[in-house]
Amino acid sequence: MKVTFTLNGRKIEREVKSNRLLLDLLRTDLGITSVKKGCEQGECGVCTVLLDSAPVNSCLVLAQQIEGRTVTTVEGLKDEPVMKALQLAFIEDGAIQCGYCTPGMLLSAYALLKKNPKPTVEEVKTAIEGNLCRCTGYVKIIEAILDAAGRIKVERD
Amino acid sequence: MKPLPSFSLHRPKTLREAMELLEKLEEAKPVAGGTDLLLLLRDGACKAKHLVDLSAIGELKYIGECDGEIRIGAATTHNSVLQSSLIVEKAPALRDACACIGSVQIRNLGTIGGNLCNASPAADASSPLLTLDATVEIASHTGSRSIPLYKLFAGPKLNSLQPNEVLTEIRFPVPPEGAGMSFQKLGRRKGYTISVVNAAAYLELDGDSCRKAQVALGSVAPTPLRLRSLEERLKDQKLTEQLIDETTSACYELVSPVDDIRASAEYRRKMSCVLMKRALSEAWNRARRRTH
Repeated sequence: MKVTFTLNGRKIEREVKSNRLLLDLLRTDLGITSVKKGCEQGECGVCTVLLDSAPVNSCLVLAQQIEGRTVTTVEGLKDEPVMKALQLAFIEDGAIQCGYCTPGMLLSAYALLKKNPKPTVEEVKTAIEGNLCRCTGYVKIIEAILDAAGRIKVERD
Repeated sequence: MKPLPSFSLHRPKTLREAMELLEKLEEAKPVAGGTDLLLLLRDGACKAKHLVDLSAIGELKYIGECDGEIRIGAATTHNSVLQSSLIVEKAPALRDACACIGSVQIRNLGTIGGNLCNASPAADASSPLLTLDATVEIASHTGSRSIPLYKLFAGPKLNSLQPNEVLTEIRFPVPPEGAGMSFQKLGRRKGYTISVVNAAAYLELDGDSCRKAQVALGSVAPTPLRLRSLEERLKDQKLTEQLIDETTSACYELVSPVDDIRASAEYRRKMSCVLMKRALSEAWNRARRRTH
C-alpha cells in the first residue's frame, strides 16, 4: 500500500508493506540515520521521532499509520531556534558522550520546550523518561535542557 | 530482534466500518496505540491475519461530561486523558494513573481503551477506574452492550470481548463535590516502570463518617482487584487513622500475587497494605479539604 506523509517539510510517497515499521521506513528506506534502532520495544527511546509534533517511538508505529501525517527528526530542525539552543547547550555542557541517545534525547527535550519554555527539573526528568542514556548518568543532560531553556529566554528578551 | 509477522492492516475511518471489518475478516484483531499489541504479535503471544486499526477513527477520541457521567472515547491517548482539565478537576486519581503509564512516547501512542483491553493485572488505569465504578461500552456489528469494567477482565492479559467486538467508551458517574480519591504506585523506579503494586481509593464523606468507600489494587491478583470486603468495613464508620490502619492490613489476606522478575509475592502482599493505606489516607485528606 502507498503511504503519503510529510517528512521534515518534504512530501514523501512510498510503497510500504503492512508490517513495515515507521522506524525501518525512516532509517533503512529513507536513510534518516539519526533515528536509531535500539530495543525495538518502546523502552529505550533512540528511535524517537515527532509525529505531528508529539514524541513517539517509531518502533511502535506501523508505516501505514502515518498516512497524511507529519514526521519530524533532528535533520528537519537544524535551523530551528529552540533546537539550536538545545544543540549548543548539549555541546557546551558536556551532555553528549557516545551520542547514540542524543537525537532522541534532543527531540524529547525540543517537544518539552516548545510546550513549556520554562520547565522545572521534575518536568525535564519526565520529558526524557523514555530516553535511556548509558553514558552521562543524565545529570548533564538535565542541566543542558534547563540551560537551553534559559538561553531561549535571553534571545527573546 | 524478530521481524513482525505479516498481516493485512485495515485503516477504517468510522466505527461502523471497523465493526464490519471485524465481522467479515478471519483472525482479525483491533489495534489502537499498538504499544502492547505489536510486541505480542512479534513474540507470537498473539496471532492475527488482519489488524483493524482504530487510531484513525475520530469518533473514538473524546473526553466529555454528559448526563451526570464522564465519558472517554476508548481510542483517547493517555496524554490526552492526563491533560484534560475535566479529568484533572473531577478524577485526579485517573490523571495520576495515566501520567505514570509508560513514557511520554508511549503515552502519546497508547490509549485508555487499549490499556484496559490488554487486561494486564498491572494496568495503571484499571485501579482508579474500578474505584470510580466505571462502565465500558462494547460495540459489534449487531449492536452494543454495556458491562461494569470489572467484567471486562477475564484473567491475566485476557479480556472478555468477543472477536468481533470493540471497546468504544469508558464512563463513570461524575464524582460529587467533596469526594476524595487517590492513586498510588510502587515500581522498581520512579519513571517508566510497571507497577509492582498499585492502589486506588475513592471516598465520599458524611461529616466524619464514610458514606462511600471504593478501593482497588493492581498487580496483586490475576486481574485488577476491587476489594469490596474492605469497602464494607469502612462504610458508615467514623474514619480514623486507626481504622484505616486496621482495615488496610487485611489486604495481606485479600490478594493473591505471584512471584515474578519485579517482586516476590510476599513483598507484594506487604506492599498491598502499605499502598492501600497511602491511597485511603490521601483520599481522606482530599475529601476533608473539599468538604470543609
